[in-house]
Order: sequence, then C-alpha cells, then structure tokens
Amino acid sequence: LDDPPSQTPRPFDVRTIAFLVRLMRRHDLSEIDLHEGDQRIRLRRGGPPMAMSGPSGTAPPSRPPVEQAAPVPVEKPAPARKLTEIKSLTVGTFYAQKEPGAPPYVTVGSRVAPTTVVCIIEAMKVMNEIQAECAGVIEEIVVNNGDFVEYGTVLFRVNPSA
Amino acid sequence: VNGEIVTDAQPTGADAPPFQRILVANRGEIALRIIRACRDLGIEVVAVYSEADRDAPYLDLADQKICIGPPKATQSYLNIPRLISAAEKSEADAIHPGYGFLSENAHFAEVCRECEIEFIGPAPEAMHALGNKDQARRLARTAGVPVVPGSDGLLEPDRDARPLARTIGYPVLIKAAAGGGGRGMRVARDESSLLSGLSAARQEAEAAFKDGSVYLEKYIDRPRHVEVQLLGDRHGHVVHLWERECSLQRRHQKLVEESPAPNLPDAVRRKMCAAAVRLAQAAGYYSAGTCEFLVDQEDNFYFIEVNARIQVEHPVTELVTGIDLVREQIRIAGGHPLRFKQEDVVQRGSAIECRINAEDAEAGFRPSPGTITRWQPPGGPGVRLDTHAAAGYRVPPNYDSLVAKLLVHQPSRAEAIATMRRALGEFVVEGIRTTIPIHRQILAHPAFAAGKVDTTFIERTWLRS
Repeated sequence: LDDPPSQTPRPFDVRTIAFLVRLMRRHDLSEIDLHEGDQRIRLRRGGPPMAMSGPSGTAPPSRPPVEQAAPVPVEKPAPARKLTEIKSLTVGTFYAQKEPGAPPYVTVGSRVAPTTVVCIIEAMKVMNEIQAECAGVIEEIVVNNGDFVEYGTVLFRVNPSA
Repeated sequence: VNGEIVTDAQPTGADAPPFQRILVANRGEIALRIIRACRDLGIEVVAVYSEADRDAPYLDLADQKICIGPPKATQSYLNIPRLISAAEKSEADAIHPGYGFLSENAHFAEVCRECEIEFIGPAPEAMHALGNKDQARRLARTAGVPVVPGSDGLLEPDRDARPLARTIGYPVLIKAAAGGGGRGMRVARDESSLLSGLSAARQEAEAAFKDGSVYLEKYIDRPRHVEVQLLGDRHGHVVHLWERECSLQRRHQKLVEESPAPNLPDAVRRKMCAAAVRLAQAAGYYSAGTCEFLVDQEDNFYFIEVNARIQVEHPVTELVTGIDLVREQIRIAGGHPLRFKQEDVVQRGSAIECRINAEDAEAGFRPSPGTITRWQPPGGPGVRLDTHAAAGYRVPPNYDSLVAKLLVHQPSRAEAIATMRRALGEFVVEGIRTTIPIHRQILAHPAFAAGKVDTTFIERTWLRS
C-alpha cells in the first residue's frame, strides 16, 4: 500500500472501497483483508474463493495472483497492528496543547493512561479536555493543531500492547 | 422591491442572496428541500448528519458535510452545542432548522441570536407566545379568533372539574398543555371517565413533557382539520397563502393533505384565513407558519394551535400559489420584505400530497425500516416528488418514517385525484413496506372522491380491529 490516503476514510465508505479496488487492480492483488478496531473489509477479485488466512491479527501470507501465468511480486501488506483509536466525541477545533506556546499534551511515543488528557477540543468557546480513555503508547497523531474535527474524527492511534 | 411582483415569484435577480452560507440542522427529505432552496438562491450549504445518516445521498449535494454525533437525536440533531459549533466552524451565517427536531425550540433560536447566527424561523418571542397552547389560546381570544369552548386556561390540580365539564357539555377532551402531535390527549364521555382520565393524563404529561398541566375543552365529533399557511416578514407584513385540508390522519399523524379544502364554503375559508392573519399579527410573527383549525360539521371553525415552522405539507401550498415557501423563509430571515401582497396570492387549481412512509399500513402502520432494493418513482405532467430516498438507500430506524412526499397539481380536484391514482400506480418500492398501498385505497374511496372525510376516517375505515 504505497500511497495511503492522508485522511483515513471510514471502512464502509464507498470511496474507500473504490480506492481499494483500484489498488487491487493496479497491483493485481486477488485479496485484501483489512481490520481496524472491530471493523473489517475483505475484498476478493477473480479466481476461486480463497481460504481464510489464519486468525485475525496475523499477517496473511502473500500469494501469487491466481490467474497470472508468471508470478508478479506482491507487496507484503504491513503487519496488521491492533491500534486503538481515540476519536472526537464532539464537533469543534482540535488543539494539541493547553495554550499557544505550551508543550503539546502528548507526542508520538507518549505513554497514556485512560485519564491522561491528550488534547483540547474547543466548541462554542468552551475548551473540552479529551481523555485517552485507553492505555498504551501514542503511535500516530492523525490531525493537525487547529484542525476542525467532527464527531467520530480519529485524533490519535494508540498501541495498547507497546 | 416593488409591489407588482406576483405570485409566480421568480427570483428578481435584483437583490443579493440574503446569506452567504446556511447550515441545515435537519435530515432526510426536508434537508434536501432546504439544500435545493439554497442552491436556487445561490447560497452555500453546510449539511450536518448523524452516524445513522452517513451514507444519505443528499449529503453530497451540500458544499460541506459535518458529522455531529451518533444516531441518537439528543446527541446529534437535537444537540445545540454541536450544531452551533458546526455552524461557527463552517462560518455559516444562518441555520435552517427544518421541521421537527429544534425547529420550534425558542431556546435554540435564542442561542443562535446570541451567537450572531440567524435562525431561519420566527423570533423566539413569538415562539414563546405561541408555543404554550394555553397562552396561544388566550392570544387567539384577544385577536378575535374563535377557540374551542373549554377551561380557559389550565385546570387547577385540586379543583373539581365536573361542573366545568357539565357547562362545556360532554364529550370533553383532556389535553396536555405541553403536548402535541396527538400525544397527551384523552376523551371523557361522562363524569367517571373524566376523573380517571384527568389523573392519567396528568401523569402521562408529567412523564412525557415534565409538565403535568392539562386543560379541558369541548370534544368535537368527527371534525375536519383545516390549516392556514402564513408568511410574514420582519417589517410587520403578514399574508396568508390559503388553506390546506389535512383531515386524513391516523393517530393524529397526517397522511394526505390538499388545497383547496373540498366542500368548504368560500365565506368560511376567507374568514378563517383572515383570523389566522390577525393571530400572527398579534404574536408579532414572521417567517412561515401555520394556523391549525378544527372545523365541525356545521362549518364552524375553532383555532387549535400555531405551528411555528415550515411544515411537512408545505409543497401543497407551493403548488397552488406558485410561491416557494422555503426560499421566502430564507429571504425573510435575511430581512427582505415580502415581495407580494395579499391580493397577489391566488389559489390556482387543486393540489394533493400523499405521505409515503416506511410503514406497514396492514400491520397498524408499524415502522418498516430497511434497505430499499427497488425504487421506481412516478413522473410526468402534474407530478412532484420530494424525497431523499433511492434504490440502495437504507431507511434508518432512528428517525421518523417519511421517505417521500408525492404531490400532484391539476386544474380541478377530479383531475388531481386521477393523476394521483396514476402516479401511485407507477410508484414501485421494494425492500421496505410503504404507505403506497393504503394511499391507492384512499384515493379510490368514494368518501375521499366526494370530499367527505374527517379526522376519524382512516381509523374508522382501516383500523377498526
């Protein structure tokens, strides 16, 4: 997956599926199986149905495309990581720090506990402190300081097993 | 603006759009209706949605869409801080509330005002004056608008209601002051049912509206429900756009509406419309609104309530008057004066609306949410279909069941009925149950053709068992 979209679309967004189908065609993949939280997309293209590849959470083995005479190298998908998402529970402006000039609440690599404040979302001039509500290490900060976020926007990805 | 512009209100092109960007605080067909009005006026639109409406096709017609919460309405379409935040962040200068949800919430209108966002609807003061039925009734009396004989205010909890009920005359109706849509109403036909009904109604109202106050009024047997469409500007002008007959209801929910009201003497129609205008003026009302009346079998009319919002059935009036009510609402909110006078508003031909709900009429109108697998809408001359649905659309179980409003407009009522029957015959929906089959039966019924129906007709004819 060489060009992941900058904003992560929701799993069942048709644009996501269209994007994945294009990706499969371009790289001649016969199957994509994505897990994110409790949601999953599995797409298969051409050929006979394939067996499920192991328990979820393990990387599926890459296979040569069924209909190709010569095997084409297939990029090995990134190992499926079980990351927890911290999502916005309101509509407003994302702030990474308490006030301008202050250090951010968290950075990539910060360890958080469920009650750790990770950011502020400002709505109607009220600063709402957002707690992690999960434990682990921040792997990714998905939005930028000052971004407008809506309900359900993914703010952080946390590795709970790190 | 000059006084010569008549009712086929074309955009004059002379005035600038009243707003730059409007946020639509609603969903479904009315959200789409408002998006279309904004497009016609050259105004940008921000749509908001809950997670249950994430895939709704109309969202893509807006310039921007913002997810405001989970399916539960209190956390999305009824959540004032999230709506205001979405409006502020998207720099919308006005909010259109549609109908239902926050449309008649005076507090929301006040919050909008404080945040310097225009609320497209009446002033909060007018909403307060008309929102409580007891107050509205008193205002109607002072404006010389006939009201149903009753308790003239709330029934004191400790007072014996029996002498009053005897004066009004049985049967009497016990109504919750804060009720609506038929909720919190009870009929008492004698003293014993009066006493048991009062305590039950108070408890119900307390539980449903956190306001246990009730009042008593004469129960009108087999009334018709006729309402008057109003439009007022912020410069003190109020006009009526004639009446709509909305008697075809089941459980106080309208199913078919039409204009003009059949078999209503012209003198009664004119008196009723003039009364509605007086009431709106007394309340300092602007924007679109509806004054509802009950009409008894002797064609006496009595004021019931004002709906301080755009209504579901507004397109019926748009068809017979040629006036785009949503567009006018937006212009009025922007401070523009009305661009027509009362004498310019002409009722032309006959229009009928059938509400197509995701309901199984054969199973007592039980909601039937689900995915629409086939959608073949009607069309052709005289047909208008307002809908947000399409093949593949999933009707969410979280909100009301309206999926489409099928309207026809023809020179005469008989022709309108014929066209509606033709359109209902063309309309194919699969995957969910709809009210299309019962509409076919209603439109074929001799009582409907004769214009002799009242608010009990559907329940008497189809819901007897």
